[in-house]
Parts: sequence; structure tokens; C-alpha cells
Amino acid sequence: MEARRGVGVVALTALGPLREAWADLVRTFANVTFGVTLLGVWAFLTLIGVVLEQGKDPSFYAANYAPPIARLIARLDLANIYHSAAYLGVLGLILCSMAAATFTKVIPRRIPRLGPVKVDAIPLHAKVVVAGDVETARERIAAFFAQRGWQVRKRAFGGDEWTFADKNNWARRGVLVAHVGFLIIAIGTTIYWAKGYSGQFAVLSGETATIPENGAKVDLRRFAYRIDPITTKAGIVYQPIDYVSDAKVTGKDGVTRDAVIRVNQPYDVDGTLIYQATYGFAIDFRLTKDGRPVPGSPDHPLKEGEGFPIDGTTRAIQYTRFVGTIDRATGQPAADPRPNDPGIVIQAFDGERAVGSALVPLGQTVELGAGFALTPVRYVLYSGFQYRNDPGMLVVGLGAFVLLTGLCISMYFLPARLFVIARPVPGGTEVGLAATTVKGYDVFEDRFREIVDALHRTQPLADVTEVTPAPALGTV
Amino acid sequence: MDPTRELLDQTLLRIGIASYVTGALVLFGYFLLRTPLLRAIGMPLAILGCAAQFVELGTRWWMTGVWPLTNLYGSLSLFSAVAVTIFLIFAYRYDFALIGGPVLAVAAIAFSYATTWNEGYMPAVPALQSYWIKIHVPIVITAYASFMVAACVSLLYLFKAAAERRYETRGTTLRGVVAAPAGGTMDVSLSTTAYAAPPPGIVRIDTPAIAQAAAAGDAAAQWLAGLPSLARLDVIQYRVIAVGLPLLSLGIITGAMWAKEAWGAYWQWDPKETAALISWIVYAMFMHLHTRPEWRGTKTAWISVIGFASIVFCYLGVNIWISGLHSYKM
Ligand code: HEM
Repeated sequence: MEARRGVGVVALTALGPLREAWADLVRTFANVTFGVTLLGVWAFLTLIGVVLEQGKDPSFYAANYAPPIARLIARLDLANIYHSAAYLGVLGLILCSMAAATFTKVIPRRIPRLGPVKVDAIPLHAKVVVAGDVETARERIAAFFAQRGWQVRKRAFGGDEWTFADKNNWARRGVLVAHVGFLIIAIGTTIYWAKGYSGQFAVLSGETATIPENGAKVDLRRFAYRIDPITTKAGIVYQPIDYVSDAKVTGKDGVTRDAVIRVNQPYDVDGTLIYQATYGFAIDFRLTKDGRPVPGSPDHPLKEGEGFPIDGTTRAIQYTRFVGTIDRATGQPAADPRPNDPGIVIQAFDGERAVGSALVPLGQTVELGAGFALTPVRYVLYSGFQYRNDPGMLVVGLGAFVLLTGLCISMYFLPARLFVIARPVPGGTEVGLAATTVKGYDVFEDRFREIVDALHRTQPLADVTEVTPAPALGTV
Repeated sequence: MDPTRELLDQTLLRIGIASYVTGALVLFGYFLLRTPLLRAIGMPLAILGCAAQFVELGTRWWMTGVWPLTNLYGSLSLFSAVAVTIFLIFAYRYDFALIGGPVLAVAAIAFSYATTWNEGYMPAVPALQSYWIKIHVPIVITAYASFMVAACVSLLYLFKAAAERRYETRGTTLRGVVAAPAGGTMDVSLSTTAYAAPPPGIVRIDTPAIAQAAAAGDAAAQWLAGLPSLARLDVIQYRVIAVGLPLLSLGIITGAMWAKEAWGAYWQWDPKETAALISWIVYAMFMHLHTRPEWRGTKTAWISVIGFASIVFCYLGVNIWISGLHSYKM
């Protein structure tokens, strides 16, 4: 028994410093300046993400930045900053800091106890001398505040009768609501990271693609676009008006349904939304050597940016860009992107080195040297889709709503308390009043002035010289 | 568009710019001289320019059937018109026409720059053909505009606070000659100036060095003493930001809803939406620091100025330097 008690005492004494350290930690995290510093770090990391192109190969940064910066980008994972340990860590710390502040400051903050104050010591104070005795004056003042929507309470302290008027006390909870909203958004985002998925794919007209995560099939029947020439002050501009994919989509139930997928009008298959994201012109190439087809010749249409090696050489060809209209007079690309007189730009590489590029009209053959010849035969329109399944979205939406509500409550409903004391003076009653708010005094100055003015207007004033007729805090 | 409509459009544009330019000059004059006549001329000019802009945007929409906020011309026009509207509301509500000069000057610059993006009457690209544009863009632009007005108030705060510091240093060196007031409270009769009628009662003075120099006859100090108190400037700055921050939040939320519909994800770390997040964080910092008395004032005023710089980066910088989904191309 003794021995066990001894162990308990040792454990408790060991826990003492631990508890103190914990209390210290919570205090630090709950500190607003600490939280704001974390917000600053969050803003700074986000700024890096905006300024620095994200998600590129290390070679991109090596080519575009000085070597030390490129090394820093690689080492600190700045190219993928939004998913980096530093970024997630800061968000985690912000949530901890917010939670610490919420539990130690925001939630315990009750409405202050009703009690007497030194009216003159509160910067926002005024005195009005009204007619009548103390009792009637108190009743009238109470009615005055009640009429204006203030919650009025009366208390006696050591023979003094105090009246307390409160407004928007409920709005003290606005901060809590905003903090909870932010937390709900964080939860919703985590749900997406844990369970959601997204991706993109492109389908050539007449072909079918499968979404790997849910097995849905998208069979693109036809892709259509509309681009209109518009006359503007700067000349003719070719403005895209519409992109639309006519598809057949097969979901989990095995039923194939017609789907018209447009920009801003996604299609839902088994909870995964498919979006019209982009389109392009894929090209069917024919590669020959000495007039005969080459086996390594691309066997499917290539999209912009794709390429193929030329068998038996160190060379490769990349299809760089589709040109809708080639100006016949100059042989150069014209402004009209629609395929009136189409061609493509190809780029030749020897190993990693670019060795030349050419604009080739569709159907024409270009000699590549050593007996090789390349013909872009025809184009096939393809449609680019994005898909996304986000089970956390409703939670994020709810969080956004709660956050916004919290913001509006804390910014537009100011909790304020008035302390009113009535004391008899020769010829009437002196009503002293002082105001406090959760956001200091300055923010309530105008309202306080209005209240005192209204008191002057509505109350029968005593026929004596006033002590301090107007609000005390008028800053110049 | 037919020539009559074109003429109407151009006339409204010119009225808008001319009113802002002259209004800015007149209200700058009011800021310097505090002559009521200048305010009486400047404020109607602000109203006229703002009305001309709204009418221009409205008629453009009515005549072409195309929502006019699909390009930088439309959005910058709305920005200047809304900024002037917010200024007018605050100016009348808080008797605060003093910052009209800078607000109208920025509005004039933004509007003139907007006209360089005025290509005429273009139908919207597919991504912008959504009812969301009618909700999202005006909300975001109103938020930007209120931050601009707030930054003007903050700059005025910083200006007066810096002047107070200068007078303080000067006062310290002169202390042997002129007695400095004890504490921050003094009878208002000491600081009565030709510029501002002081409120009755005892007055707390938050720029005692200026008040003292003014009472000693320093003309510049008398002019400074006629500016609103630092406390009042701080409250106005807070109130304008309290308009902008919920709107910026709502703007980001509606933008996310639109993005979800258009691009498949409510958040894609697109440079524009991410830059808006940065501004949101900066103003959240402002709000938190503003709850601490020791941070309220000069420090929060600086955050407001930094916040507006982040808005300019988000609004124009990202479009100019960084390409993303918001460059409106597919
Ligand atoms: C980073 C950690 C955070 C800490 C330590 C923190 C702490 C606090 C504290 C202590 C207050 C009350 C201040 C007072 O009235 O005395 C407050 C107010 C507030 N917080 Fe936070 N907070 C954090 C993050 C956030 C975030 C991310 C949001 C997002 C919306 C937020 C929204 C608000 C709002 C709207 C207020 C009311 C401001 C006002 O009344 O002017 N806070 N915060």
C-alpha cells in the first residue's frame, strides 16, 4: 500500500512540470500574435506558390533559375508547395493555435459580471441631469433603453441602484462560429484528400476512354466548337463561343446514356463529375523511308506536344502546334484559328537538342533527310475532360457558410454594455452612464454620442447646469 | 453597335473620367484648405462620375445583351464606380469627405486604364458564360474597392501618426521652453483651431504633440489638428475593411462554386484564386491584430496598406505576370 502511494506521489511530481509545460504550450498557441504570425507564414508560403510555377520537372527550374535557387526549390519541395510538409505543417499549427485560443479564450469568455464601476474612469462616459426623483428617472431610463432593444437589468450594490443595458451579447459567439467554420472547411478538405480523386483525360472523336478510379466509360461521338470572328476596335478577334462534347457515358449500372458535356455544364456519373476542359487537333502522321512506310511510324493520331522517334536514328519529331489557317500569300500562320487551310508546326530533335522546326500544310510531305519523309495526313478533333469525385465538398460548403456567418456576426454586431447609475442632485437626478464593448471604446463613440443625444432629446431635463452634457470621449 | 449607341457610350465615358479628374482635384483642395465650398463642389462631381459609370455599364449591357464584366475594361470600370460609391457612403455617414481626393484619383486612373482594355462589344468566352459571373465578379470587385478606400484611410492615419511622432521629437527637444501637457487629456479649448469645431465636453487627445504645437501657433500643426483623430481614422478603416472582408470571403466562396461548375474543382490552386487567398489571410491578420489594443493603430494601418498591395497583385499583377485559368482561355 505504502509503496503504491509512493509511486503515485512520484508520478504526480513528475507530472507537475509536464502539466506546466503543457499549460505553457497552450498559452503560447492561444496567443493572438502567435496565431497571426502563423497566418503570415501561411500567406508567405502561398505567395511562393503563386509566383513560382508549380508542378514542373526539376529540369524546368534548373533551366529558369540560378543554380542555388533551383537547388533550394528542389530541397524544400517548393515546386509542390501546397502539398509540402511545410505547408501542411503550418496549416496544422494554425488549427492547433485556433483551437487553443478557442478553448482558452473564446469559449470561456462569458459576459462580464454585472457590478458597479467608476463611471468617470471609463473613457466613454457622460452625465445627464434629468428632472424628477431617482426612482422615476431610473424607470424612465430603463424604459428608454428597453424601447431601443437593449436588455435591461437592475441591481443594487451597497445602497446604489445600478441599471445595466446590454446589446448584442449573443454576438460574442461570432468568433467561435468563425473559428468553427474554418475548422469545418479543414475537415472537408481532409475528407477529399483521404477519399476523393480527380484526374484528366483526352478522347479522340470516335474513341472511348475509361476513368480508372470508377470504371466509367466515355465514348466521344463528336466534339464541336464554335469560334466567331468579332470586329473590335483592334481589328478582327476570333472569339471562342462554345465547346461541346457529344458522348455516351456508361456508369456502374452498365447502362449507356447520352451525355452532352459543355463548359460550365458538367456531367455526373456515379457521383463523379466530368467537365469539359479543353480540346485540340490530333494529327495522323505517315512516315516513310525511301517511299515505304516505316514500322516505327506513329500508329495513332498524336496530340499537341507528343512526338515519336525515327527508328534507327537518334532523331525524333514533335508535333508542337496546330495552325488553323495558313496565309497563302506569306506561308505564315494567319489569325483565324479555325481549320480553313490547316497545317502544323513540327520540331525536329537530335537527342535532346532541337535541330529545326517547320510549318507543314496538312497533306503535304516534308523531307527529313536520309530518305525519311513525313506527311501530316489529317486531323482528328479530340476533347479534353477533367473528372473529380469530392466526398468532402458538402462539408466544405457548410464550413464556408458557417465561417461567413461568423465573420458577419463578429463584424456587424457589436456586443456593448452600458452601466447606468442615478443619483439625486439638487433640482433633479444625475444620470451617469458609461459604455464598454468587446472591441474597445473608439468603435462605439458615435453610437454613444447618439444615445446621449437621444437622452437629451427624450428625457425631461432638470433646470440646472449640467455637469458634463455630452459624451466624454470626443477625440481630436 | 450603331453610331448613336456608340456616341452615348463614349459621352458617358468622358463624363465619368472628367468628373473624377476634376472631383479629385477639388477634393484634394478640400483636404488642404477644408473650405466647405470645395466639398460642396467635389462631392456632386463624385456622384456624377459614379452615376455616369453605372449608366454606361448598364446601357452597354442593355444594348448588347452581353454582361459587361467579362473583361478588364468592365471589371475595372465597376471597381472605380463601386470605390467611389463606398467613399460616398462613408463620406456622408461619417462626415468624411477628406479622402475623396485620393479615392477619386485612383478611380480616375483605374477607369482611364480600363478604357485601354475596351475592345468594344465581345461575346463572352465559354468559361465566362455562366450566371456565376453575375454574382461572383460584382462581389469580388466590391471587396477590392472597399479595400482601396480602406487603404486611403490607413494612409491618412499613417500620415497623421508620423506627423505626431515628428512633433513629439520636436516637443522633447523644446521641453525646456514649452511645457508639454501631462498625460493625454487636456481641455479642448487649448487645441481649438480654425479648421474644426471641437465637440463639447472633455476631449481625449490622441495626438498631444500636434495639439500642443497647434496651441502654440504652429500653422502646420493647426492644419494637422483639424484632421480627424487617429482613433476615428482607425475606426473608419476598421469599418471599411469590415465591408471588404466578408465580401472577399463570399467572393472566394462564390468563385469556388463557379470553379467547381466550370473546371471541376472548387479549388485548384489557380494563381488568381490563390492570390485572393493571400489577401484574405492578410485581412484576417488585420482583424485579429485589431482585437489587441497594443496593435490597433499604426501597425494595423500598415497591414491594411499591405493588404491593398496584395489586392493589386491579385487583381492586376496575376493577370499580367502569371497565367492561369483566370486568364479566361481554354
Ligand atoms: C491562427 C490561429 C488563430 C488564433 C490564435 C485565433 C484567435 C482569436 C482570438 C483570441 C480572437 C478573439 C479576439 C478578441 O476579441 O479578443 C479571434 C477573433 C476572431 N477570429 Fe481568430 N484565431 C485564429 C485563426 C482564425 C482563422 C483562421 C479565422 C478564419 C476565419 C479566424 C476568425 C476570427 C474572427 C472573424 C474573429 C473576430 C474578429 C473581430 O471581432 O474583429 N480566426 N481569433
